[in-house]
Amino acid sequence: MGTSNSSKRRAVVVGGMRTPFVKAFTDFTRLDTFALGAAATRALLARLDLAYREVEGVVWGGVILPGGAPNVGREIALDLGLPPSAEAMTVTRACASGLQAVTLAAAAIERGEADVMIAGGSDSTSNAEVKLPQQIIHAFAPLALGKPAVSDYVAALGKLGPIGQLIPRQPKIAERTTGEVMGESAERMATRWEITRQAQDELALRSHQRAAAAIASGRFASEVTKVEVGDGTWVHGDGLVRGDTSLERLAKLRPAFSKEGTITAGNASPLTDGAAAVLLMSEDKARALGYRPLAAIRSWAYIGVDPADQLLIGPALAVPKALDRAGVTLADCDYVDLHEAFAAQVLCVTKALASASFARARLGRETAVGEIDPAKLNVRGGSIALGHPFGATGARMVTTMANELAASNKQLAVLGICAAGGLGAAAVLERV
Amino acid sequence: MNDLLLALGTNRRARSVVGALKLPIPLPEPLARAAGPWEARPLEGESVVVSGGPLLAAITGALAEAGATVLVDDAALLATARAAAEAYARPVRVDADSRGASSANASGLASSANASRVHALVLDATAFETVEQLRAAYVFLSPRVGRLARSGRVVVIARACASTASPATNAVRTALAGMVRAIAKEVGRKGATANTLIVAEGAEARMPPVLRWLLDRRSAFVTAQPLTVTARAAAARSPAVVRPLDGQVALVTGAARGIGKATAQALAAEGARVICVDRAEDSAETSQVAQAIGGSVVLADVTAADTPQRIIDALGPRGVDIVVHNAGITRDKTLGRMSPEAWDAVLGVNLAAVIRITDALLAGALRDGGRVLCLSSVSGIAGNVGQANYSASKAALIGYVDALAAQVAPRGITANAIAPGFIETRMTAAIPLMIREAGRRLAALGQGGQPEDVAQALAFLASPGAQGITGATLRVCGGALIGA
Ligand SMILES: CC(C)(COP(=O)(O)OP(=O)(O)OC[C@H]1O[C@@H](n2cnc3c(N)ncnc32)[C@H](O)[C@@H]1OP(=O)(O)O)[C@@H](O)C(=O)NCCC(=O)NCCS
Repeated sequence: MGTSNSSKRRAVVVGGMRTPFVKAFTDFTRLDTFALGAAATRALLARLDLAYREVEGVVWGGVILPGGAPNVGREIALDLGLPPSAEAMTVTRACASGLQAVTLAAAAIERGEADVMIAGGSDSTSNAEVKLPQQIIHAFAPLALGKPAVSDYVAALGKLGPIGQLIPRQPKIAERTTGEVMGESAERMATRWEITRQAQDELALRSHQRAAAAIASGRFASEVTKVEVGDGTWVHGDGLVRGDTSLERLAKLRPAFSKEGTITAGNASPLTDGAAAVLLMSEDKARALGYRPLAAIRSWAYIGVDPADQLLIGPALAVPKALDRAGVTLADCDYVDLHEAFAAQVLCVTKALASASFARARLGRETAVGEIDPAKLNVRGGSIALGHPFGATGARMVTTMANELAASNKQLAVLGICAAGGLGAAAVLERV
Repeated sequence: MNDLLLALGTNRRARSVVGALKLPIPLPEPLARAAGPWEARPLEGESVVVSGGPLLAAITGALAEAGATVLVDDAALLATARAAAEAYARPVRVDADSRGASSANASGLASSANASRVHALVLDATAFETVEQLRAAYVFLSPRVGRLARSGRVVVIARACASTASPATNAVRTALAGMVRAIAKEVGRKGATANTLIVAEGAEARMPPVLRWLLDRRSAFVTAQPLTVTARAAAARSPAVVRPLDGQVALVTGAARGIGKATAQALAAEGARVICVDRAEDSAETSQVAQAIGGSVVLADVTAADTPQRIIDALGPRGVDIVVHNAGITRDKTLGRMSPEAWDAVLGVNLAAVIRITDALLAGALRDGGRVLCLSSVSGIAGNVGQANYSASKAALIGYVDALAAQVAPRGITANAIAPGFIETRMTAAIPLMIREAGRRLAALGQGGQPEDVAQALAFLASPGAQGITGATLRVCGGALIGA
């Protein structure tokens, strides 16, 4: 799985497209995850001029799945009017869901199950279903599901406790097993790896500056589509990037997760709405249809770590695993794209990759995976500046790196993503 | 079984009253024990001070992996220690001793940690060969021993005494063991332990899991003991920090109650499938134990002629990895009045059956990398009045595992004994009060142990991380004076 083999069918990226990424509860509040996903996919197929009937399947990633229709990929296909025969599934692997969708589609193509697949992901944090306290559900379910008498209503009301327990709780990104909010886990990792606030703010600043430069230069024009949000209003570009931010401004922000902490709204990825979609084909099919593929999916790897220890260190293990499968080293890679859940987490992962002691203890090898030249890392910004619609990020990264390889005449890019549950994900893309 | 003083000791108010009135009542400190299976990071949040020495990197790595914050006693050690701890993302700081005389506070982070309590002190004395070097033990431990937390740990890592060493070197190595026994008595009042970890040349790689266990709450009742790590037994499985017995099969005799039951439970908790052996009379209890841990039962008298074969049949072609000979009896009488039946019964169950069953299993069912564990007793070391038969049988097992270890070492099998001291069981509850009190108080920790303490020691010796320990008898005795 996920290894390169010359005799094998290769899965290639033909193109990718995403919606602008905007802060949750702002411009996209009225668009749900289906609408966002459909907008990205529609724009992708239009831009590449692909006949809908060519699409054989959709693999979609999402984290906040709508309870009534959790197979988001199928709903998007139907909303778009893809042929009913185009099958669809929806996968979740927390923040790595978008990459999961891409690698599943690639696997299906490598195995000869399909030649043309859409893979992507979307999330609308603005439309997360607010969870009712379990007590209310237990009290009222018999009324909703049975044939209640008046006395049952009275009894149900009697079962409710103090009013405080009845207020719907804000959805939190907390680990189920540890109860820890992700920012708290990142904060603990920053302490253990001795990552300073300044180093985090510097990374955040670079993320913003590079994303702003990409936007200003038109580099994103080929991968970001405008989206109509109703009554003729259009959102044309990303809403979170602050090209004008500075170290001074970042330094003034208050810690978000602990009083003495180092993580702030400025060096964490914000809650975001958005979608991204990638068109994958077998290499032969792409050429037969007249496309020039941007990049091939060369390898990928997923791994788990103990969420109670270092929740977000997974990429430090997944990246070397994917590199090994591709038969290349970190030094061979022209680009390294790490999902920026938090600047602290990126810095912990890069420190671990550069540590021989980490390599010996955790990877069973004598030398470090390698140092990452900042000039190669997240060259078009990352999730801190652009935002992080959970399910979309992986597909965004694949698109940006595929375009980067194609445009710059470079050979290799490696992607790394950390995800809730202590998961790490990685993939290697190569130029075709 | 109730220990009144221990119960009183858990009451902080009572402790302070006794202290204020200067009452001559030794209130033992309740020991911190751990419930449930081994944890990935048993030392999470704990500080451990480490001295400089040849094994610094290995010690620091083991501590960081266990979740501890490592404090080194000298800024010059920071680079080595940091490189080792980095693998587990644990920062290392400089510890200044409580007399404030130590080296510079280089990290700038150390100041708050300096005054605080520490869970453990680890002295690497492996390079000590002269009286001058021995003094470093005093310099490192003396200012810090007062900062040891309740149920804290002192571990001195040393080289083995050997008549082949130079007399002065051998004297220094022997001195360390004597010093540790004294420290054990001093810190025992806090429920803390002190042990020597002896590492043979060439066995350094087998040291970390043993150090980890000595610092874990699961070794609460092991104190004043030497644990020797060698390369004698051939390499087998690699150590695992959690579920060390995953996928293994264990046989426990006398599993119906007491130490046997606790052992069956502990082995099962670490992932082993346990076959519980006990006599037909104890069928109900044995079944209950087996059912609760998802194990199976063989009802057999260990002395019966057909028992070895019945056990082998029950094991099936997969065989067994861990054998715990726990079944044992007493038939006390002073020697002149002891019946031949009492002699024969005790030697039959406690010794002859052990040899016969082990021999039968060694012929094939016991897998390479396996474990033979025998329940000896401090009575076998010290000798008890009225227990000539019992003391003989329990001493016998010490010699048995010593010689057996050499025989099975090429197959990666280890053979060890555990010698429990005063353990609170049905057997000790039957001892007259005054003797029982003496049994409890005449120990560094001033209290009796629990069956779980013995079970935890057995689970540790059964684990892959104990590959370096073989032919040994480990006392789980709270630092009992008897036979020490
Ligand atoms: C960190 C977090 C709690 C911040 O939430 P928030 O307080 O709503 O953030 P805001 O966007 O309101 O930002 C707070 C302030 O920082 C300012 N700010 C944010 N980024 C800034 C930047 N780069 N430069 C300057 N100021 C910035 C904002 O303008 C705002 O200022 P204001 O209060 O004056 O308006 C939230 O984004 C979060 O939970 N992120 C983590 C999400 C996560 O865990 N994702 C999973 C990762 S896989």
